[in-house]
Amino acid sequence: MKNSEFIRSRWFEDIPVGEFHVFGSHSFTEKEIIEFGKKYSPETFHTSPEAAFDSEYRGLVAAELHLAAIWMKLMVDYMERFATGVQDGRRNGAGVSVRDMQWFKPVRPGHTITFTYEICEKLDRRVRDKWGIIRSRNEGFNQNNERVFSFEIDILAELAPTVKPAAER
Amino acid sequence: MDEWQNLEVGQEFETGTLTLSKRDILEFAAEFDPQPYHLEAEAAEASIFGGLCASGWQVCALMTRLVSDTFKDQGIAIQGIQTIPNMQWKIPVFAEDILCATVAIADCNRDSQLLVCDIRVRNQHQKIALTLSMTLRIAAPQSAPQSAVRSTDL
Repeated sequence: MKNSEFIRSRWFEDIPVGEFHVFGSHSFTEKEIIEFGKKYSPETFHTSPEAAFDSEYRGLVAAELHLAAIWMKLMVDYMERFATGVQDGRRNGAGVSVRDMQWFKPVRPGHTITFTYEICEKLDRRVRDKWGIIRSRNEGFNQNNERVFSFEIDILAELAPTVKPAAER
Repeated sequence: MDEWQNLEVGQEFETGTLTLSKRDILEFAAEFDPQPYHLEAEAAEASIFGGLCASGWQVCALMTRLVSDTFKDQGIAIQGIQTIPNMQWKIPVFAEDILCATVAIADCNRDSQLLVCDIRVRNQHQKIALTLSMTLRIAAPQSAPQSAVRSTDL
């Protein structure tokens, strides 16, 4: 408990490059794949198991952005439990940009994807003198330990308040 | 569905529009991105965004919908997204914002059936909310199913 409170209140300066976590898993159901597909990616291989059988995938597969949305869902849950403060609502910042987002293999109903992240860099850039930028590498692996998804994302993290020099005569 | 063979580098398409309701924002956020600035007006006003706004992933997913519908209208069948080499969220998307996108053809490789697009999503004030580059896989002409991709997959 103490530990999680400590981590939750981390500032930009406190987040170590190299930190690595396996932060969550999700099993995709046919129902949710179809729901997401109908809203955002209405190709038949995302929306109809029957029609998908005649596609190059030979069956229903999750939309690419569905993987990203599930990554976000698991990341928010993880942050609430362990990381920079979703709960205090201040220090957790917004996503700025994404690089090298790739999908390697289809995700099908019943597949379970496990996500990892590693803090790979803290950028020199500052935003409004209040935020630093944390770059993390994120990957998703299926139940056979095959990589299906990866990307890097830059996220704002609040800078520690500057301590003013105490003695001014 | 081999209309994409006629695409030219530099060609641009305007997508249709999508209006994002507050309910859309809250529903997506509750399921995928339950952070205060996507769920509660008060917390959102105090945040860096200055108001209740859509998850960046919802904006991105809506972008894929706009692109998908546009290419479908052109007779081009998308088989999947290969990569998004880079993407930037520029400004927040708020409730009742109207989004549309410009899709510019940056490269068109007929041998590998890959189509690279530069995409700008903007709101009703013509402000750019999202920019990205995206590589799409396109269906082979007619005989598509036989070109067995990833046959080892379950």
